[in-house]
Amino acid sequence: MTRCGKQATRGPAPPAFLVLPLMLGACEGRQSALMPGGQDASQLFLIFMVMLGGAVVLWVALNGMFYYFTQVNRRHFALRHGNRIIIGAGVILPTVVVGALLAWGLSIMPSQRARGDGLVIRVNAEEWWWRVEYWPPGAEAPIASANEIRFPAGSRTELQLTASTYIHSLWIPSLGGKMDMIPGRQTVLTLHPDLEGFYRGQCAEFCGASHALMAFEAVVMAPSAFDTWLASQATPAAEPVTQDQMQGKSIFRREGCGACHTIRGTEFTGAVGPDLTHLASRASLAAGIMEVERDDLMTWIAHTREIKPQVAMPAYDWLSPEELAALAAYLESLE
Amino acid sequence: MPGISHRQDEEEFRGATGSLFRIALSPTIWAFHFLFCYAGAAVWCAKVGTEEGITFLRLSILGLTLLALLVIGWQGWHSYRQWAPHDNDDHVEGPHRFLGHAALLLSIISFVGVVYVALPALFIETCL
Repeated sequence: MTRCGKQATRGPAPPAFLVLPLMLGACEGRQSALMPGGQDASQLFLIFMVMLGGAVVLWVALNGMFYYFTQVNRRHFALRHGNRIIIGAGVILPTVVVGALLAWGLSIMPSQRARGDGLVIRVNAEEWWWRVEYWPPGAEAPIASANEIRFPAGSRTELQLTASTYIHSLWIPSLGGKMDMIPGRQTVLTLHPDLEGFYRGQCAEFCGASHALMAFEAVVMAPSAFDTWLASQATPAAEPVTQDQMQGKSIFRREGCGACHTIRGTEFTGAVGPDLTHLASRASLAAGIMEVERDDLMTWIAHTREIKPQVAMPAYDWLSPEELAALAAYLESLE
Repeated sequence: MPGISHRQDEEEFRGATGSLFRIALSPTIWAFHFLFCYAGAAVWCAKVGTEEGITFLRLSILGLTLLALLVIGWQGWHSYRQWAPHDNDDHVEGPHRFLGHAALLLSIISFVGVVYVALPALFIETCL
């Protein structure tokens, strides 16, 4: 009995406790609010760290008092003193601390909604992918893309957000806070990325069968590289060169892919699915879940709904491996 | 004897009814302040515009807040006097004093609640 009693008060065994720091590895990576890559994420990170530090202080103080009054000093206190502690630490302190945190958090919000420096990116959330349009200052027509959002580093970009059918939420944890995307209205989020690199964005509002598979690449580039990239995105698609690619294009035409997908510079002008004009220049396929390379393209085209439940694109599983390879070769040439 | 007891009950109840209404006063002001601030701002932003007249809207919320805090403060002071914690030392709190005590605590919560509700309007500069 004594043995059991002692064990019960000993707490977690040392080895189990020492494993916990290993979990800190999960704080790293390109989709972490704890690795800020821009002004907005840095502000949120600061709030988080201050609140975490405060929580540690409160936790130690509360448990310290608990230990002190139950183990160290067990004499009775006057009701007066007890009431003072309860009212001071239990009512006044939390009211002031929560009030101060609220005021601080609110004072940061205007800067998270500051006006952009010129570039506007419109993002419409579809089922379950992202339609992206770049509107540089003075543009009369957008430059269309999908499932990837690129930003010039060092300036504030305005994101105008809408949604087709369901409520979604756009979140790039390393660059800033999240913003809901609501059918029938436009919401605005502005981001000021600073560190160049590849980040990952994710739909942050449950939106149906493939919600977890609705991600995207967020790429922060040097301003000059961004301008060059955007200019190349505005150009029409490359013509097929090899035999494979030409066969792929004719399969694309035969199967009616152009009814849903646009490839600028061709007769394919569908607007149901993502614009494929420069598909091969993107870092991901099918909204952040696969790569733009031969095997993934062939697997995706033949098994869309197995990979992404309830997605609008049918699975072209009647195509032969050779036809799929030719189609993939054509799509890979769209740089 | 039963008749006298009944009359005493009635008198006590009549006194308590007023206190019961006063108990509900501060939370009610808090609720209406919340409603007016949020519904008012939503209607203003939808009908007038996201940036036009925002200063007027924020000043209106400030005025409404000061008014609410004034009434809640007055109610809190009134309740404190009804509670009269230092008047007798026998630690017996009858219904009358208990209702004052409860109304005071509710006034304090309502005061804090009204301040927290108003804070966003003071800091957030647009409807977006």
